[in-house]
Amino acid sequence: MLEELWRWSGPFLQGSLVILLVFLVSLVLTVIWGLIGASAKLSNNRVARGAANAYTVIFRGTPEFLVLLLLYFGSAITLTALAKLLWPETRFVDLSPFWAGSIAISLIVGAAATETFRGAFLGVDQGQVEAGRALGLRRFQVFMLIRLPQMWRLALPSFGNHLNSLVKDTALISVIGLQEIMFTADMAASTNSMPFAMYFTVALIYLAFTTVVTAVIRRLERRANHFMLAAR
Amino acid sequence: MSFDIPLMALSFPRLLEGLRMTLSLLAVSLVFGLLIALATSFARNTRWLSWPAEAYVYFFRGTPLLVQLFMIYFGLPQSEFIRTSPLWPLLREPFWCMCLALSLNNGAYVAEIIRGGLLGVGKGLKEACWALGLSRFHRLRFVTAPIVLRLCLPAYGNEIVSLLKSTALASTVTLLDVTGIARTIVAETFSPYEIFISAALIYLVLTFLVQTIVAHFEIRLNRHAQR
Repeated sequence: MLEELWRWSGPFLQGSLVILLVFLVSLVLTVIWGLIGASAKLSNNRVARGAANAYTVIFRGTPEFLVLLLLYFGSAITLTALAKLLWPETRFVDLSPFWAGSIAISLIVGAAATETFRGAFLGVDQGQVEAGRALGLRRFQVFMLIRLPQMWRLALPSFGNHLNSLVKDTALISVIGLQEIMFTADMAASTNSMPFAMYFTVALIYLAFTTVVTAVIRRLERRANHFMLAAR
Repeated sequence: MSFDIPLMALSFPRLLEGLRMTLSLLAVSLVFGLLIALATSFARNTRWLSWPAEAYVYFFRGTPLLVQLFMIYFGLPQSEFIRTSPLWPLLREPFWCMCLALSLNNGAYVAEIIRGGLLGVGKGLKEACWALGLSRFHRLRFVTAPIVLRLCLPAYGNEIVSLLKSTALASTVTLLDVTGIARTIVAETFSPYEIFISAALIYLVLTFLVQTIVAHFEIRLNRHAQR
């Protein structure tokens, strides 16, 4: 069995890098969706609030798998139609599984992050914002220098859980054909008839991944609360 | 590109046929998941069984459900021991493999929720029970359990919703739940928007129902706090 694992170690390593890449891309996207969603939910604009509410209700109430399928197959149709408008001779255009998958899982986890960020922004004392404005900071400066540094401390614990969901959701993308570790295990299992060992390897890789993410978040939390240790 | 409303209306009854599979998976896994979670919580507080229980929770919370499902569905038949065991007629069926994966996954998450709830029971209450001379069973029945139930219910409600969403993976092991039927229809018509959005609507309604029912129970359990 170890021989077989050794034989497939190259593809497993490559697949792990693909997962890492998907994770990093969707992490950035998740933060973007979350910040936009939270700002929209807290804005005075009714349309923005309505749109953000619809976003969280829809993406938190439908299965991740369904969103992934909808985005992957839907984007193929939309992009092909668009491309045909511009260049009539095109036959077929689609989003690669990598991008369709990254966008889909980031939209799902982004909906959860929206709620977390919203709560965290509400946790920042309004007086701080007013003080910043009184000191002559611009809105953007208030956001970057006052609201963001204080809200991430509050958001971190829940955000850590979201990151773990993000890691685990990357496994779904193998279903639409991304060549990551699940895909490698499928291939390996079909040739060496050791499915359990192969999928267990995948599980261990994911376990290592989530363990590292959890440890990093714990460190960040300690760092974010550093000033409180000093005050004691 | 156009949005085909008649096709949506036409395929809706077919999608609803998958509801039976989705709800069966949900119901079976809820029951077994809760039993596993209770057993795990009990094991965590014993001396010798606590580390296997911790390992179980750690493993099933740290790995994707799809991997767990494939380990069970494709992996277990690899072993001669499983194929000769009395459970083989069940484990041969994709339905029971899916239920097993969902229950084990759900059990680990719920065990963690119960742990949080148990931590929320004040130490003073335990001492008060001692002072009143309650037996261990009575303490569990009349003091600990009601408080833990109240503390855990909101998080448990979220877990039910996430279990419901997880049932969508059933189509990866050939089961025809709502998502499975949606995939079949999309393969026939290639209209992903109409069909997948119809399926999403069904899940949204189910999510809403679960949340409403859980909210109802939350209000009921917190009657004492209302005036």
